[in-house]
Amino acid sequence: MKANIFEIEKNSFVDGPGIRTTVFFKGCNLKCKWCHNPESQSASFQIMHYKNNCIGCQKCKEVCKYEKCVLCGKCVDVCLSGARKVCGKEYSVKEVFSHILKDSLFYEMSNGGVTFSGGECMLNIEFLEEILKMCKDKKIHTAVDTAGNVPWQYFERIMPYTDMFLYDIKAFSEKLHIEGTGVSNKLIKQNLKKLSQTFSGDIIIRIPVICSFNATLSEMKKIARFLGKIKYKKIELLEYHSMGEHKYDALDMKFTKFDALDEETLDMCRLVLGLNKK
Amino acid sequence: MEFYTCLKKKRPVRLCEKTRLFAYRSLNHKYGLETLKTPYVSLDHIKNYEKMSDIEKYNCAIYEIATKAPIRICDGEMISGAATLANAINHQLPAIYKDEKKTASSGVSHLTVDFFEVLKIGMDKIREKCEISLENHQDAYKREFLKSCIHCIDCMKLWHTRYIEALSKKQGYENVINNLKQVPFKPARNFYEAVQSVWFCFAFLRLCGVWPGIGRIDVLFGKYLNEDLQKNKITIDGAREILAHFFIKGCEWITGKEVGSGDAQHYQNIILSGIDEDGNDVTNLVTYLVLDIIEETGISDFPTTVRINKNTKSDLLKRVCEVIQYGGGVVAIYNEDLILESLSCMGYPEKEARSFGNDGCWEVQIPGKTCFSYIPFDGLKILQYITLDEYSNNVSFDNFNSLYNKYLSDLQSHIDFIFKTRVLSKFDDNFNFKKEYPCSVVSLFEQSCIERGLSYKEGGAIYNVESPHIGGLPDVVNSLYAIKKLVFDEKKISFSEFMSVLKNNWQGEEELRNYVQKKYIYYGNDNDEIDDIATHLLDAFSDMVCKYDKKTPIRYVSGVSTFGRQIEWAQARYATPFGRKKGDVLSGNLSSTPGTNFNGVSAMIKSYCKANLKKQYTGAALDVSFIPSNIQSDNAISALSGFIKAFVHLGGYFMQIDTVDNKVLLDAQKHPENYQNLSVRVSGWNARFVTMNKEWQDMIIEKNK
Repeated sequence: MKANIFEIEKNSFVDGPGIRTTVFFKGCNLKCKWCHNPESQSASFQIMHYKNNCIGCQKCKEVCKYEKCVLCGKCVDVCLSGARKVCGKEYSVKEVFSHILKDSLFYEMSNGGVTFSGGECMLNIEFLEEILKMCKDKKIHTAVDTAGNVPWQYFERIMPYTDMFLYDIKAFSEKLHIEGTGVSNKLIKQNLKKLSQTFSGDIIIRIPVICSFNATLSEMKKIARFLGKIKYKKIELLEYHSMGEHKYDALDMKFTKFDALDEETLDMCRLVLGLNKK
Repeated sequence: MEFYTCLKKKRPVRLCEKTRLFAYRSLNHKYGLETLKTPYVSLDHIKNYEKMSDIEKYNCAIYEIATKAPIRICDGEMISGAATLANAINHQLPAIYKDEKKTASSGVSHLTVDFFEVLKIGMDKIREKCEISLENHQDAYKREFLKSCIHCIDCMKLWHTRYIEALSKKQGYENVINNLKQVPFKPARNFYEAVQSVWFCFAFLRLCGVWPGIGRIDVLFGKYLNEDLQKNKITIDGAREILAHFFIKGCEWITGKEVGSGDAQHYQNIILSGIDEDGNDVTNLVTYLVLDIIEETGISDFPTTVRINKNTKSDLLKRVCEVIQYGGGVVAIYNEDLILESLSCMGYPEKEARSFGNDGCWEVQIPGKTCFSYIPFDGLKILQYITLDEYSNNVSFDNFNSLYNKYLSDLQSHIDFIFKTRVLSKFDDNFNFKKEYPCSVVSLFEQSCIERGLSYKEGGAIYNVESPHIGGLPDVVNSLYAIKKLVFDEKKISFSEFMSVLKNNWQGEEELRNYVQKKYIYYGNDNDEIDDIATHLLDAFSDMVCKYDKKTPIRYVSGVSTFGRQIEWAQARYATPFGRKKGDVLSGNLSSTPGTNFNGVSAMIKSYCKANLKKQYTGAALDVSFIPSNIQSDNAISALSGFIKAFVHLGGYFMQIDTVDNKVLLDAQKHPENYQNLSVRVSGWNARFVTMNKEWQDMIIEKNK
């Protein structure tokens, strides 16, 4: 069994408690307009071309035999300027696990662990279930970062081996959700409700705060009301940033720029959601 | 009035407004610039100066300094005494005869002196000890030294009297005067007197061109503070103010002027926490007060190292991490467990080992008892110039082992050479220490000098240690590894062809260069295959050095450092087999070569800790840095603590952690005026970034990438 993974990030401090290793799966069933990891959306390999790094040596063109890219990676091998990169690599469960194990002492010393993220890691449910089991066997703290748009059975399958869910809520209003992510949030909301009733571990709600999308008083109020019925450990706001722009360019994808967040808006969101001011 | 931090959140406020203003002024050069006005005292008027012996000249110099150095009393200062002669900032005895560039003595550093004795018995009793010793010694040279010691104490008294007189002419210094009437000539009776006593001696030493480390400040003052608190003679807040003045006074050499490798490196290291002679935890309220002061003011002039062991309490570790978070690189970590083991391997009695301190930087020594120096050398240059004969076609190796063994024998030759030139040369034919320049002032604060009638530099100290420090070791290991993989394992290129590529500085070989840079996983990434080479090489190096240990009265033991020398070394180095070009600034201390770590700090710590570091007896440093935005969250504290605990668990030696954003450093290069107090960790010291020259600034930036 293999999964396409685009990054295994060591020493992450932002995806759950302590020192963590975060495994980013490729492939997502949401297409969030503000997504800062656009390379996570497609489940297949991609060749990224960072035009700023390109020195125009033409070596990539010389080596290419195909009209349409077959992802052979030859152009990446010959690129000396770092302009071309393959995004995604097939890993077996064992391979990913051996990466995770390397830092086990650091997890132990910091109450950290491993976080599976993406993309939507739960789309690789077989793989995910398997690796979560292995982590649990070694008593490694496990977190699953999900947008929740997957069948409820998937949650049931991994719950026994998961210590924490990082659960994204992007919007409450269905129309708005479709507009921003391309999908309805009915299932997402349903799953969170069920999860909150059945899961004995920690749920951390993560809300991306996006101007002219959800960073409005009315939308935040709706989210707050919805979360009022949910049992969670804490809410984390993910502040919008445009640092992913160069990746859109490297993938020839269209970049949508949202306005930068101001402190006032953020404070309003915090207030509505009952979070302390910074 | 705010103190610089790289974080969004502001530094906490605990000190009173007056003290904060004092700190602010001091950090912003007020006293440093004043100090610059008087470089030295003149010896021109001394009759027959030219005919005097060195020690007579030295005695004159100390007298002139004590009686003529400007007196400085800062507004509202709670402790007095100031090192007001600018040449002392440059590690010189600040007294000059005519146009003689050199004085009768140079500065002394790389030691932590014994401040415990002066607190306990006072300078008057130390003077009595000198007189008793004088009666016991008949040797003329020794008698002259002991008389010089008495003379120096008398000079200190003259300087002391000048302060009392000057303070008496001002309003509001009654407490300071009362303290000075007791200390440092009589024993300290309470916390306030103790702080004044140590400060006064420290300032006098510095005024005479000596740069001592402070050592275990919480052990020095903790007992006094506890007693005062029990008797309700002081409050915690009051004690913090007094101690803060110690730190602020220690900023009196900050001038804001560019000094190449950065300012603030006067080896005034402080050590916190750890166990005492009997194995009990020494952590006390002073430990926390020091952390409070660093956290609030960001004063980086006393690099502070915390002794962490497997039993260190989590609340201390938490406080340490909170201070680290604010940036400046002030607080570093010793793995006490490993260092005690190392010192015991070296043969120090257990109780003595437990008192360990450093040379004011991070090289470990027994404070008050050790005359230490280290001998740095570039291990990569030995590989490039000797083993590989400057990449000429005269040498060839057909397997990795023969290359590796040749390097080991070249390294041994160099260590033999150092032993002859740096150790054997210090003795006469009877293994007595040869005469050195006089250093009576520092000898007063080093155990056994007075009893032996020998100066600190001439065999007076209980231990003498010379330590060859290998630099560039990670670059040597990466070089050997790249040759092993490319030439011997994969046979992609012949040995001689590869040497030509390197000789030509990789010219026209970008593809191959790209290959060695990207395909191989170098030291610092938790790759056993290469880390094993590093481990083996470090062990071998230690054995090579230590075979000369105990052969003379000078201990000869190994250590690892560069202290930023990778900058000057870059000039002479050639291109490296792992893809670096001539002139690139490479690895610092025992940290990975910049640009080769792809697996984070945890992998770096693991690679470094695989080596048997207790065999690097005077130390081996690891440099680690974090981007402030990554460690702002509350979770960062448990993450930082985790790194430190893992470092101790895995057997690290010394780790210096900085919190720094290269974007900020690049902006500081453009607009230095906005970043006067931005401090960065350099090596065993911190420096204000804007006082470093471009090469040093760039080295810091590269290292953080």
